[in-house]
Amino acid sequence: MNWLTTRRTFTLMIAPALLIYTVYMVYPILYSIYYSFTSYDGVSPATFTGLSNYREMMQDTVFRTSVQNTGIILGIAVTLLVPLAFLLAVLLSGNVKGSAILRPLVFAPAIVAPILVGLIWIFILDPKIGLVNALLQAVGIAIQPQWVGGSTLSPYSIAFVYLWQQIGFIVTILYAAIRMLPRDVMEASTLDGATRFQQLRYITVPMLRESFGICTALVVTGVFKIFELVYALTGGGPVHLSEVMVSYMYYVTFTTLQYSYGMALAVVVFVIGAVAAVVTLFGMKRRAAA
Amino acid sequence: MKTTSTQRTGSHTTSLPGRRPRRARIIASAVAYLITFVILLPLLWIMLLSFQTNENILARPFSLSDLSLANYRQALETLDLMVMYKNTLILAVFSVTIGLVVSYMAAFALTRMVFRNGRRGVQNTIRYYILAGLAVPVYILLFPVYRLDIALNLFGTHAALILPYIAVSIPFNTLLLTGFLREFPEEIEQAAIIDGVGLRSMAWRVVFPLMRPVVATLAILNVIYVWNEFPFAVTLINKPELTTISLGISQFQGVYSVNYGAMMASATLVLVPQLVIYAVFQRQVISGMTAGAIR
Repeated sequence: MNWLTTRRTFTLMIAPALLIYTVYMVYPILYSIYYSFTSYDGVSPATFTGLSNYREMMQDTVFRTSVQNTGIILGIAVTLLVPLAFLLAVLLSGNVKGSAILRPLVFAPAIVAPILVGLIWIFILDPKIGLVNALLQAVGIAIQPQWVGGSTLSPYSIAFVYLWQQIGFIVTILYAAIRMLPRDVMEASTLDGATRFQQLRYITVPMLRESFGICTALVVTGVFKIFELVYALTGGGPVHLSEVMVSYMYYVTFTTLQYSYGMALAVVVFVIGAVAAVVTLFGMKRRAAA
Repeated sequence: MKTTSTQRTGSHTTSLPGRRPRRARIIASAVAYLITFVILLPLLWIMLLSFQTNENILARPFSLSDLSLANYRQALETLDLMVMYKNTLILAVFSVTIGLVVSYMAAFALTRMVFRNGRRGVQNTIRYYILAGLAVPVYILLFPVYRLDIALNLFGTHAALILPYIAVSIPFNTLLLTGFLREFPEEIEQAAIIDGVGLRSMAWRVVFPLMRPVVATLAILNVIYVWNEFPFAVTLINKPELTTISLGISQFQGVYSVNYGAMMASATLVLVPQLVIYAVFQRQVISGMTAGAIR
């Protein structure tokens, strides 16, 4: 190939991608980081204020609520999503009749636009018009919980909806991993008299460590991207009680127009999300090695 | 399946050979079908509601009397579905095509081009520089891109969205394309060079056709991304004639207020075509969306 390679052709080949990527991705990040250290309202020129936006964040109770809600969603997603998806993947990889039809059906929610998912779930969770409370009433249970829009349950409901949307995606990854396990190990253990549960516990689970790590990392990074669900289901309300970090960042930047404070929030979401993903992957790798 | 394991004597064996597999299979199948039904229930529910009258939705949602198409008539009158589909299609076609072309050119240059001195330092550095973009959540880009579009005089045009969509797709495109291009056999290139092929034909006529499966995977993944994208759309679209499907959906609650039936009919009108396309291409869609996680 060196006959055809010149500095000029190389530059021409690489330039378009590099230019678009730099202008629309790298520059915006630097822009956000820079403005997070200033005071900027979009009109008068930005003045450098050092860490004051970040200090303000420490005092900001809504920010604290948004971190807490993100934490709740993260906790539920990490503890439930991968294990439930694993069980379903095991179920589907056994000889279930019609598994080839069930798998794409289970995956279907993952292709629906998140904003549409939010709209759909209003009609499941809304205290007045939702399916869940209608069912409760139909079976004679008098309580009508405020699944969304109340003061406490919203983050849990959002976590559940996130679970619903992602489970088929994680099932598919784990299903593929289960199918790739070497067959002879399973056969040998069957001959040795291992029960199906023992095979799961001592063969399948340990051999899927790496896949569990990938899935957990995907779930963790995914949680920090939740935005549309909150936007559609609660709008962050009432009085910001159901805000997650990203939705609060969006509110601060585009509704209250506190640009520099919004940028500081964006930088923090970025850093926390990246750190969480790295820690997850690193932790899983170490556990797999141990 | 063989069920002739009657020779097993291990104390762990609690099963009744020959009987357990069949019963277990029926139970497992029943559970799997039930779970699948529960997962699909929300989608089926809004489709049912789309045929209900508003009074029934509020008072007797399970009633199956008075189902009608009235909601759809109303939805089609209120909603500019054509505009939403047209805009989303324009964005998808341009951003995915341009994104793939520039990514492929870059990936080709990063992996297949060899400088006479044999050093790959520049190429590796550029590759890592682009791959770093995989870690970037789009939310940090929203406001800067908004300002950038205004400064470049693109605000209020399709390009305002096409450019960030391309930028966001470049890192993953590059990851997958460089991964496959690295393993491309050198012999084919050498044979082509002996045949007197130039760089451009090498990239597009010799190597590209062999990359079709990866390109198809990326195309599907990118189209789904643009089709469902909301954060950029809500930030960068300022006039009704640019509305995309996602942005349109976000306005349903405002448009229909408490007219739930029409709202659900509208939701069904965007949901069903997507599910039909998914049903046709499900194998490719699933492999495309899980491409990063499954080797």
